[in-house]
Amino acid sequence: MRKIERREFIKLAGTGAGAILASGLFHDRLLAGELPPAGASLWDDRFGVSREVMAEVLRSALSKGGDFADLFFEYKILVNVTMEDDIIRQSSESVIRGVGIRVLKGRQTGFGYTSSLIPESMNRAALTAAAIASSGVKVRPPDIRERRPDKQVYLLEKLFTDAPLEDRLALVKEAYSATLAYDKRIVKAIVRLNDEMQYVTIVNSEGLMISDARPQVRLYVTAIAQEGQGRSTGNSSAAGRVGYTFFRRPGSTPKETGQKAAQEAIALLTAVNPAVGEQPVVLGGGAGVMIHEAVGHPLEGEGIWRKTSIVWDKFGQMVANPAVTIYEDATLPELRGSLNIDDEGTPTRRTMMIEKGKLAGFLLDRLSAGILGLEPNGHGRRDSYRSFPLCRMTNTILAKGEASPEDILKTVKKGFYAVAYEGGVVGSNGQFTFSVHLGYLIEDGRLTRPVKNATLIGANLQVLKDIELVGNDQHGDYFKGVCLRGGQSAAVTGVTPTFKIRQMTIGGRL
Amino acid sequence: MSRDPENNMALAENLVTYGRSRGASEIEVSIRVTSEFSASVREQNVERLTEAEAKDLGIRIFVEGKAAAAASQDFAPTTLHRIVDNAITRARLGGVDSLAGLPDLEPVGISAGTLKIYDPAVLELSPESKIAAAMKIEAVGLADKRINKSSGASFSSVAGMRYLANSKGFSGSYRWTSVSGSVNFQAGEGDDFQEDGWVESSTAAAGLPEPEAIARIAVQRVARLIGARKVENQNVPVVLEPYMTANLILFFLTQCLAGANIDRGQSFLLDKLGFKIGSGLMTIYNDGLMPGGLGTSLFDAEGVPARKTLVMDHGVLKSFLLNTYYGRKLKMASTGNGGEPGNFHLAKGVSKPADIIKLVDKGLLLTGMGALGQDPTTGDISTGVSGLWIEKGEVVFPVAGVTVSGNLGNVLRGVEMVGDDLQFNDNIVGPTIKVAQMTIGGKGTARGGEGR
Repeated sequence: MRKIERREFIKLAGTGAGAILASGLFHDRLLAGELPPAGASLWDDRFGVSREVMAEVLRSALSKGGDFADLFFEYKILVNVTMEDDIIRQSSESVIRGVGIRVLKGRQTGFGYTSSLIPESMNRAALTAAAIASSGVKVRPPDIRERRPDKQVYLLEKLFTDAPLEDRLALVKEAYSATLAYDKRIVKAIVRLNDEMQYVTIVNSEGLMISDARPQVRLYVTAIAQEGQGRSTGNSSAAGRVGYTFFRRPGSTPKETGQKAAQEAIALLTAVNPAVGEQPVVLGGGAGVMIHEAVGHPLEGEGIWRKTSIVWDKFGQMVANPAVTIYEDATLPELRGSLNIDDEGTPTRRTMMIEKGKLAGFLLDRLSAGILGLEPNGHGRRDSYRSFPLCRMTNTILAKGEASPEDILKTVKKGFYAVAYEGGVVGSNGQFTFSVHLGYLIEDGRLTRPVKNATLIGANLQVLKDIELVGNDQHGDYFKGVCLRGGQSAAVTGVTPTFKIRQMTIGGRL
Repeated sequence: MSRDPENNMALAENLVTYGRSRGASEIEVSIRVTSEFSASVREQNVERLTEAEAKDLGIRIFVEGKAAAAASQDFAPTTLHRIVDNAITRARLGGVDSLAGLPDLEPVGISAGTLKIYDPAVLELSPESKIAAAMKIEAVGLADKRINKSSGASFSSVAGMRYLANSKGFSGSYRWTSVSGSVNFQAGEGDDFQEDGWVESSTAAAGLPEPEAIARIAVQRVARLIGARKVENQNVPVVLEPYMTANLILFFLTQCLAGANIDRGQSFLLDKLGFKIGSGLMTIYNDGLMPGGLGTSLFDAEGVPARKTLVMDHGVLKSFLLNTYYGRKLKMASTGNGGEPGNFHLAKGVSKPADIIKLVDKGLLLTGMGALGQDPTTGDISTGVSGLWIEKGEVVFPVAGVTVSGNLGNVLRGVEMVGDDLQFNDNIVGPTIKVAQMTIGGKGTARGGEGR
């Protein structure tokens, strides 16, 4: 019952995702590299709703004069395992199932949902959604034709779904031991493995039927260090739309994930408070949170057609330094934000947002695209069947530049270097804030003392022009977050090379 | 909503019996049914209507000190039996924790009716009247010349029912309602604009302020920020409006008092019980039983009866917020906080808010913030804020684009005045307070830092 959050924000920790317990033919096909099979199986197995019933529900949804209706069927299983105090403390399994029914009439949305998939319940929800319109018309049920996603961007090899719980426990224990073994000042480790498998089928009044099966896995490690009276907490995660083999790749093993959390906690033991005020800032890998707030949210469709975003009238204008190119790409393989199709069934594609400094595009779902006279570009996402689509980010990328990270640091006599990021928040006027859990002082071009708990604040139109140098070191570590907006969460990433901002205001101690 | 047309109580009890028969030493089943309606309007057009009924089931299982949990929105008996069986299997693979388990049976001593958290009038509000309320909230604001854009108004209502049964013989249910109205406006010129708004919530239909009142607060909140600018880096006294006291101090404090964070050493308060950690002006309660409160409940997520807990008594820390498990672990009793805090509030003081401002020679009246940059382990707070600059007891200009930083320990000790303007319009609330000193980060070359 907290007050409604008036601004969009993103956070690191979070809910997440898991692996699936169900099994069967569908999985075998996925494992064989096939896309969801046409015709029969998925929805019949998963949802038990015939095409005729779907068509009938869509007819109910449009019975009061709506322009468009869609059904979003979802079945999701999440499994979570937590290790703490040297034991597997908790495990949980959650089953999410239902259908969301949406009707569009002009700029208006009617929405209802039900977890009961019998025709009577679905028709009732459809009539609720239909009430957004009020003319009362006779419509024919659509002729539903099935399409398949045109690509497969998830790592469907050795899904957690098919792995016994013991495999998950082994992974968790490996991370747990590595965290504690890193340094004797690490006094506690908490390891969480969330795995999720989401099946969706989207059917609309234009006759589209399309399905997607999406894994989402996250290994999250918290390390607590203590030395004397000083205590600190470090976090690290390995995550993606992946299966078990991902955790055997260098860079994302449980051991490395645990060590990274421990390393952060140890560094924070001796960290000092940040200096207060305006200073040059170099953002190391993982700074995706900054472009997420400063660029991503302001370019979401709703703020553009409602003219409430500060950039609604800036298409085609130079809004950033020409060194800056930022785009969205849900088609990148295996990242948390990766998608074959969005939650309206639109195929995802790369969406240019800022091209060499110029504002080049918006993030659009069907409604926003229609109002703006543009094509939807695969950004309609929903938290679950209980949520209507909103224009959302997926993977937000700052394209790499020319400068080497070392050369970027050398340009700073005294400043702040950010390493580990927490969350951020932005207002419609482009004023944004984000927090850095661990950073370093830059003195004469070199990293010196660790710095804790820095909050950076800026106005996006100013900060984008102040991005002076963009590094050539793409795709090291990146931001793996949960974006919250309008009460809905979405798994996202932000991928950036090292880059330098001429100056930002940092909160700290005087 | 009739009391239990779907026999959810029996369903929960039967699933408890099923779990026991399958080998669970202890099992708890909870069911939550909610019907929601929400209307969003913008520029005096209905933009979105949502109406639906949701049903969720949660299970906790213990097998000889090994825990597992499950949840489902699929109520098919086969699914429910499968998730119970899976949970028992998973629990057996876990580790033994002798403290894990259900709370001892403690009767709920009062009837749900006395809590006044269910108002039948909420269910009788027609969709048309709810849409009209949202329209009215927005219209009042749009009629004000200082407002140049609406980001939308909404009105929503929720009616819910909770059922909980466990193998220690607990079986209970209660219903609740809530309504809320909100709006956001923009004011300013060109790219130099501000957005702010207001939301009011109540458990009773008649408890919600009139649409005009909600609109007026929202208009005033945004209009006063027109032309906001940065100030220099400096340490100054900070006055927090009630909403800011709740967000910056109390919301963060509930995290620092949470049993899990105490036990994990992730709270700067872990060894402070019984010590004076705050100003003598600070008395804090967590009241789960306040009639009509937005944080009021009959029992918590584990079936422990809700209660009123004195958390801080004139600056002395008296209690953490504990569920059964962390209570046992810390050798204390559960405070009935398995789940959300109740009505967590700083008791009102005697000062008039206007008098508090008058006594500030130079400082910031904090009116808005981004909820970020908090580390319970150290108590460090750092966040981007907006507000009003005070000089010689008068508000002189609006401020935005600056940070406020401090340490919760220092802030609690530094509370110099507490206002008399406490209102229970949320589950975490406080009155206006004045804090002796916090650090503003704004204009000017960086300085300071260091220190631990």
